[in-house]
Amino acid sequence: MKSSRSIALVSLFAALLAVFGLIPKIDLPLGVPITLQTLGVMLAGCLLGPKRGFQAVMLFLCAVALGLPLLSGGRGGMGVFFAPSAGYLLGWPLGALVTGWLMTLLPKTTPLRAAFSAFGASCLGGLLMVHLCGVVGLVNIVNMSWTQAFFGTLVFVPGDLIKCAISAMVVHTVARGIPDWNFGARAVK
Amino acid sequence: MGSLYSEHQTWLHRVPAWVKLCLLAVLGTGLFFVTSPQALVCSAAACGLLFVSLGRAMHSARKLMVSVVVAGALIMVFHAYLGQAVLGVVSSLRLVSASILGISLTLTTRHGDVLDVLEVLLLPLQRVGLKTERLALQLAMMLRFTEHFFVIWRRLDDAHRMRTGKSGGLRLLAPLTLHMLTAAKRVADTLELRLGE
Repeated sequence: MKSSRSIALVSLFAALLAVFGLIPKIDLPLGVPITLQTLGVMLAGCLLGPKRGFQAVMLFLCAVALGLPLLSGGRGGMGVFFAPSAGYLLGWPLGALVTGWLMTLLPKTTPLRAAFSAFGASCLGGLLMVHLCGVVGLVNIVNMSWTQAFFGTLVFVPGDLIKCAISAMVVHTVARGIPDWNFGARAVK
Repeated sequence: MGSLYSEHQTWLHRVPAWVKLCLLAVLGTGLFFVTSPQALVCSAAACGLLFVSLGRAMHSARKLMVSVVVAGALIMVFHAYLGQAVLGVVSSLRLVSASILGISLTLTTRHGDVLDVLEVLLLPLQRVGLKTERLALQLAMMLRFTEHFFVIWRRLDDAHRMRTGKSGGLRLLAPLTLHMLTAAKRVADTLELRLGE
């Protein structure tokens, strides 16, 4: 059952990332779009835990690399891994991993605590980790200086903070609606 | 689920997927070691010729190419504004060349063929417990669920619109996630019966 459950959950969250890709993106002059898919990364980490969250995002990126147009705006294929946003893309699995790992450490004894934990985990994993990788990508691919890349990525932070709040709200709903959901670790009592 | 793969046959379709993947890996990495603008102009021109040689097959990637060229132009303008025009040219040419290589592979290779190569490449990892056939099953399930959950999203949105007259937007995310998690339990039960684990 553990293996079947893992296969189902990983596939489902990879599918959620793809569904978020069907929602139109907003392009910025930096060459990096604002998309809803980072919210999927945060949710995968918060709801599945570090291992399955990481696997879900890797599965999604694998499908993108195979040429399926699953990224926002119908992008896909190997080309996207050479684009200015490649650092952010490669940061997604690490973001899900860190979010899930933090979620296992933070308290989830009540739905409200689970929501606060999800907000903190999403901020550090889904926001900070992804942006760190994004900045490294911008410096190496676009040849920006660290300062330029840092100020460039700040444009996304307000939107990503809203995504962290949405992620917390979803975790709150799940903790109330499915009380035995374990968020990759202990069950919510 | 659509794909960027073009059914219009070209000479690159006849090249085996593993050869194309090897070339992409070698040339893509090689581009990052080239710093001469003249050499990168030649590489971008060669990549451009490769893309044009695909004829009608390149039509499905026109939008993608436009976005790559626009991103390249913006990088050039950005660097020129900061007084680093040559660096901007180098970065843009590298980006455009690498993207064209990736797009050409995607246009001319079925994802099933790439998956076969991937399974072979992952074979050594079976020794450390990775199940490559499981990856193929998960990819297939992911694609099936993407369509399924998009339909559910639309259905929830229609119901919300009927009640309030407005689109549900992100309010639908919580009920959608609950639908997904419940579905995951059902799918896991079915898989357990089929796979026996």
